[in-house]
Amino acid sequence: MSGKSFESPWQRIAFFTLIALFIVMTLFPMLYVLKISVVTPEELGRAIPTLWPRDFDTTRAPYFFTAYETVFSDPIFKQALVNSVVVAGITTVICLIVGSVAAYALARINFVFRSSVQSLILAISFFPAVAIIAPLFLQFQTFGIIGTYWAMIIPDILFALPLTVFLLLAYFRELPAGLEEAAKVDGANIWQAFYKITIPLSAPGVVTTGMLTFIFAWNEFLFANTFALDETTQPVTVVIPQFATTYTTDFGAQAAAAVVVTAPLVALVLIFQRRIVSGLTAGAAK
Amino acid sequence: MPRRDFLKAAGAGVAGTALLGSTACDGFTPAVEGTSNSLVFSFGPDDSGVVQAVIDMFNKKMGGKITVEYREMPADTGQYFDKLRTEFQSGVVVNDVIGADVIWPAQLAANGWLEPLDELFTEEMQSDYISAPLDTGRYNDKIYSVPWYADAGMLYYRKDLLDKNGIKSPPKTWEELYDIGAKVAGAEGLGYGYVGQGAEYEGGVCNGCEFVWNGGGEIQDPKDLAKIVIDSPEAMAGLEAGQKVVSSGVAPVAFATFKELESLTVFLNQDAVFMRNWPFAYGGLADPALGTTFDPKKVYEQVLVTTLPVTEAGQENFACLGGWTFAINALSSKKEQAWEFIKFMITPEIRETFTIDRAAMPPERSFYEDKKLIKEQPLLEVAKDAIASTKPRPIHPYYSDMSLRMAESFNENIKSEISPQQAISTLQTQMQRIADTNVPNPNI
Amino acid sequence: MSVASDARPGERGSGDGFFARLRGDFANSERRTGYTMVSPSLLLILVIGAWPVIYAIWLSFQRVIAQETSFAGLDNYATMFSDPRFHSAVINTSIFTVLSVALEFVLGVGIALAINRGFRGQGATRAIALIPWAFPTVVSAIMWRLMYQQTGGIMQYIAEKIQLVSGPILASEQATLFAAVFVDVWKTTPFVALLLLAGLQVIPGDVYEAARVDGANALQQFKSVTLPLLKPAIVVALLFRTLDAWRVFDLFWAMSDRTVESLSTYVFKGVRISQTEFSLGDAAAVFIFVTSLVIAAFFIRGLGSQSAGEG
Repeated sequence: MSGKSFESPWQRIAFFTLIALFIVMTLFPMLYVLKISVVTPEELGRAIPTLWPRDFDTTRAPYFFTAYETVFSDPIFKQALVNSVVVAGITTVICLIVGSVAAYALARINFVFRSSVQSLILAISFFPAVAIIAPLFLQFQTFGIIGTYWAMIIPDILFALPLTVFLLLAYFRELPAGLEEAAKVDGANIWQAFYKITIPLSAPGVVTTGMLTFIFAWNEFLFANTFALDETTQPVTVVIPQFATTYTTDFGAQAAAAVVVTAPLVALVLIFQRRIVSGLTAGAAK
Repeated sequence: MPRRDFLKAAGAGVAGTALLGSTACDGFTPAVEGTSNSLVFSFGPDDSGVVQAVIDMFNKKMGGKITVEYREMPADTGQYFDKLRTEFQSGVVVNDVIGADVIWPAQLAANGWLEPLDELFTEEMQSDYISAPLDTGRYNDKIYSVPWYADAGMLYYRKDLLDKNGIKSPPKTWEELYDIGAKVAGAEGLGYGYVGQGAEYEGGVCNGCEFVWNGGGEIQDPKDLAKIVIDSPEAMAGLEAGQKVVSSGVAPVAFATFKELESLTVFLNQDAVFMRNWPFAYGGLADPALGTTFDPKKVYEQVLVTTLPVTEAGQENFACLGGWTFAINALSSKKEQAWEFIKFMITPEIRETFTIDRAAMPPERSFYEDKKLIKEQPLLEVAKDAIASTKPRPIHPYYSDMSLRMAESFNENIKSEISPQQAISTLQTQMQRIADTNVPNPNI
Repeated sequence: MSVASDARPGERGSGDGFFARLRGDFANSERRTGYTMVSPSLLLILVIGAWPVIYAIWLSFQRVIAQETSFAGLDNYATMFSDPRFHSAVINTSIFTVLSVALEFVLGVGIALAINRGFRGQGATRAIALIPWAFPTVVSAIMWRLMYQQTGGIMQYIAEKIQLVSGPILASEQATLFAAVFVDVWKTTPFVALLLLAGLQVIPGDVYEAARVDGANALQQFKSVTLPLLKPAIVVALLFRTLDAWRVFDLFWAMSDRTVESLSTYVFKGVRISQTEFSLGDAAAVFIFVTSLVIAAFFIRGLGSQSAGEG
């Protein structure tokens, strides 16, 4: 499809204007929040907002913007970053282990319930998470795990699993089965074929899947807001909106926190964009 | 590394980075009680560092017999309460002494989670206390909390601008306030005649309660706490005054989204004539970190503080009580030590420390007469009348549910989405329904 | 939503009964392993998904106050359906869902067609489109909330300048609702576009060639070739987005500072904030679950009729 020419230069201009508009609209909020994070509270309080930053707020540290200093000197925020990494990390590891095995079976083995199992796993991604917070809350309370990481990890796994399974399924299907067949002829059983041949061969796919699962769990809010009771376990998604002391709301710090939390995601997405696009659309189109 | 070891390592790493003392959970296991001779004191974060300093003093004084650990709770009071509630429900003792918001004691005591203090906190000890903070600790004829410090809604006003426009004294009624606010804001080109907290949240509830009370109305029958009496002409008059904040044009509709910071920001921008706020804002007037545009040397001559206006001249005026109290966990095995700690926290010397270093207003009257102390903390004199006029929000085991309803209706009233009449009749029905909900029996 | 084919040559057609095939699975060690391999996932779904739903349905007929549970019959549902807050939750969520999905779809188709056209910078555009999708919703909400602020908020300023609003956006529930739609459109349109783009890219070019030879203009080509062939991708995208919008929580919670009600915030407030409305919140959760099933069934039938039509 590429390289189709435009009928007139005006069409060409209109087309690229629209594309430019799309890009500007997409990036604008991020850039504007970046701006909020570096200017003085006084500039933020102005009746007519400024588009470009004027008064940089570096009062407290000469090399660093005040809002970032606030954020990074806040033990709660640092703890929240750790919490997010722990919750998203463990969720990802468990999903990869459980999901890759299931995806392999779905990709390679023809059993009667294959399509039903596949549909069931997919159906989970349509499942409204909010429907189970009441029972889970009571259950977790009974087990005494309210306010621990597990209370977030357990439901996160359920909702990240379909993503993991379908992304891996797409990768495994693309992989020619020949090598595994050869291994099986040499006496390997199906498990060995899976972890000795398929997993190493689909390593890029596993990495991309792991990353997307991680982002998914990193972004989770509902369960974290429901089951994490305080700063010792709350991830960044819960802490940022509350980035406030008892009385005051520090917009600069909120903006800085938003930048800190999203910058790595933006970097990851840009680096892995090709794989993510193919992975996501392959998974979703199934 | 085996998975279990990995999890353990991850847990240890997290515990290591948690700066919340040894009672902080590692994130994987539920929190547990502190060691045998140590007490856990739960309270929100304290930027001033005074709380930790005072605890250190106590620990030193006790010489190891009792050690208090400060367990930092969420800054957001709603979250803090939620966490306490969940911990109590799970039946695990994670704290011995609780720094409790004035709206909590009844809610916690109704579930049997707080220790009655009648025998320890004697009538004699209570004699010097201002009544509102004491009342919040009473439930079913028992007292469950000892007031720590009090907050009150106060009216900040631009003395300089009033003078300049020939107005001799601050307004006594809302009507006057709106007139003056509109006039002075117009003459000076300010955006706001009046700012306060109109948003749908607990601070909005405080502002709304003040409108009701200062109209001569009541929300809860003072003689029968199970009875809601907001459906009265006085309460309606109060809410009419509340609606006029916006409808009369003295404040823009944005008032309905304002919390403490938003109103303070406008005021610090010198864009408002009057502001309703808590005592903390007084220090903020000269605080560059909050973005003040006042000259710190002159601001305390330009801005003065008085009590809130009423609907009709001559009525008694009230301020919503805020602030914190001490309470003891009923499940604690160290109640005696816990009481030792509370007794220490309310000694005059420690009270003075909090007053001076944390600008926390003491709940006992005598401090407001102490000339020497006032010299060190002028806010005492400034806030004196407001603190003396405090009134507690409804005292009920399900206060937080009532609060949600009030927050919604008061906010809708400000925005003129409902009439004051609708607001009071809705609240009468909804709050009475909540008041009638079975209160759990703690003995089961 | 296409499902993996269960047919194994010579088996489906052979007239074997279902149970015979199942028995065959368990006689075959490889297929038996297949069941072992999917069982951890199934177990998770059962324990964390299915069991809580059953429990939730049971709870919705109970009255739960301070850990005391008693049978309440349909009381919770009766109270819920007569609660004005629930009404506004349903209305807000419906408006949000219809508006955001419609806008995202229309804009998404446009962007997908544009990117599919092929131009210098296509890859970069596609990469940029991914960025909002990767953001935590709640962080996007906070970012936009900063821009909607009355003081210093650029969106508020612009909206007032072009006379879109006369007062502060965040002071009005209605304006906040539309602002939330705007944020959702910003965040999700690029993702919808990418899904549709994937659908577009599998349409072979010679189909268009044939249409062009038949003298179809661009619009006719779109209507007669692109849309029908894109329908499966469209249905999947719409299904995903509709269900996502129907259970919206983060955006409302953070954008409106908890004040504009959606169905999910109604559930959350009941379950986690109120001390007296736990069961009411749970009943609303069951309501969301059931309505989601209905929505899903609606779209899947749409997809089914498509497949049948293609025959």
